[in-house]
Amino acid sequence: MPTKDQIAIIGWSVSPMVRHTDKTEVQLLLDVITGAVEDAGISRADLDFTCAGSCDYVAGQAFSFVQNIDAIGAWPPKRDSHVEMDGAWALYEAWIRLQLGDIDVALATGSGRSSTAAPSSIYPMEMDPYYLAPLGADAVTLAALQARVLLDAGKTSERQMAEIAARNRSDAKSNPHAQVTGDFDVDGLLAEEYVRAPLRRHDLPPISDGAAAVIIARGDRAADLCEHPVWITGFAHCSESHYPGMRDLRQAGSATAAAAAAGIGDGPIDVAELQAAFTHEEPLLVEALGLSDEVSINPSGGPLAANPIMATGLVRVAEAARQIRDGGKHRTLAHATSGPCLQQNLVCILEGAS
Amino acid sequence: MTQFVESTVKFPYKRSLGPVIGEFMNGLANMRFVGIRSGDRVIVPPLEWDPDTGEELSREYVTVGPAGTVTAWCWVEQPTEAHPLDRPFAFALITLDGADTSLLHAVEADGIDGMSVGMRVAPRWKAERTGHITDVDAFVPGEDPVVPDGDLGPPEEPVTMMSYNASVTYSVPVTAYESNVRVANEEHRLFGLRCPVCGRIYTGGKGYCPIDAVAFTDDDEVDLPQTGTITNFTIITPVQYPGQTETEPFPRVFVLLDGFDVVLGYQPLVDCANEDIHVGIRVSARWVTDDDGVVMVWSPNGEDDVSDPELVNRIN
Repeated sequence: MPTKDQIAIIGWSVSPMVRHTDKTEVQLLLDVITGAVEDAGISRADLDFTCAGSCDYVAGQAFSFVQNIDAIGAWPPKRDSHVEMDGAWALYEAWIRLQLGDIDVALATGSGRSSTAAPSSIYPMEMDPYYLAPLGADAVTLAALQARVLLDAGKTSERQMAEIAARNRSDAKSNPHAQVTGDFDVDGLLAEEYVRAPLRRHDLPPISDGAAAVIIARGDRAADLCEHPVWITGFAHCSESHYPGMRDLRQAGSATAAAAAAGIGDGPIDVAELQAAFTHEEPLLVEALGLSDEVSINPSGGPLAANPIMATGLVRVAEAARQIRDGGKHRTLAHATSGPCLQQNLVCILEGAS
Repeated sequence: MTQFVESTVKFPYKRSLGPVIGEFMNGLANMRFVGIRSGDRVIVPPLEWDPDTGEELSREYVTVGPAGTVTAWCWVEQPTEAHPLDRPFAFALITLDGADTSLLHAVEADGIDGMSVGMRVAPRWKAERTGHITDVDAFVPGEDPVVPDGDLGPPEEPVTMMSYNASVTYSVPVTAYESNVRVANEEHRLFGLRCPVCGRIYTGGKGYCPIDAVAFTDDDEVDLPQTGTITNFTIITPVQYPGQTETEPFPRVFVLLDGFDVVLGYQPLVDCANEDIHVGIRVSARWVTDDDGVVMVWSPNGEDDVSDPELVNRIN
């Protein structure tokens, strides 16, 4: 059972995911923050701490996160922080912050309008500035290199990758927020041209605009505010070298380490929501996290159905929480990743009351 | 129909190389690959710390390559402007001979069928090298480096800095209220929005109150007066960063609007020498056309100053 000072998710909101929203990032955040406080049955005034995850390079504006504070409701003044990372790391900071014990309720957000510019022009700037960025090493290139390593090692196949795409898109049919949904024939997918061999279009996530907000509360306050709090019983993240040539790309060592630190082995996992934005990352993460065949992977359709950069990881947390509160599951896992070839990995383990 | 506005942002970075990366980059200028020793391993490209343990490495450099073996590759059928080649090529991880890690770079092969894991590649050097990762134009199949005709040799002095010039073209939505502001400007009206909760007034087309986090509706629109009083000011001496168009010190003033309890911050003021600006000057709006269309500036209107010692305390 959760202890007095354990922290629970008490509400969340996920925006529709679209290729090109006509809303600004602040407007996206206004909607999901309003949605999350309503879901939690509180008001913005109840938020003691807020932490946002977003990216200036994606927004195309220096200090864009300062403008995003407009969506929070800046009065009375709040303790606020920001991470230039996915909102899952904002949630991690909020979780750490509540453990200081002086405040009880915190909000984490993730927001990104990926449609602002060609991702291939943005992401090299976030790579190693000496060795990778000047080559234009974009996310698809780095993912394709890891896919090649996994194919070469026999850890996946192009057919398995297509099957993963088809399964996620099919599962996404029941997700009202998803962007890419439907029934697809694996042979048909395999007949398509490569985008960046060995990756085809279906191996890549869509480019999505969207945002998510998650509210957490501490101990008794969580139980007071929420009939069905979803307890965070494990939370950790680990990182490896930023340079892909220094790592064994057949492994996701920092995912394994984060899962162990989060206590994944303390009980069975019912559902895992993984930030596997490229098809080949799913079997790699399933192995790295030690997930059995019994675990349902990305029933929401995952990032292959909607990939709002800077929010994709936080959406995984919301979806894993949904599986407990609305789906009756007992113990679920959310995973988020950052950096080239699954460099940094975060694992959040959630449990229901009993 | 929402309008989108496009703008290209340039990122002209200049970075120090430091001792270890500097050793590698100066090696490239001399058509040589340099790695760094970490225990039994040779790390290429070199880092200042061991990537696994974080221990600072002693500066023991090892020459590796020039040929190497492809350990992973992907095929780029449609290169982007940021890529090193403008025709189809492969990105590859290449373990240079004598190295224990692999280097990411481009390989120019004879089509996708010319690529395989385990293939041997060697560098094709540029004739003009600047101590930059792109001093290798690309790797090519085979054992022998390609040395250019008309080789210009390394720079005269060792390289200590590198340039990285990125450019991103952004497309962002113009919100409905921002469009309203533009129309109002063309009609020489000062467009405002009043928060239905707290009553604060916003210009510039911000579509929500940041205090109350509520979105505005058309009922909240208000036409604001175009006269007011300076409550505060500053003179900015421009720093010449890229994109700065101002060259001389220029003012920004705060204006308390007549009849509305609203101070507009950071407003341009014209027709007033910097040394004559003071709190209490009466000003009127003027509409001028510049590269951004019709915009509002303030100028003194000749009315008597407002003498109020509390005025300077008004900032919002």
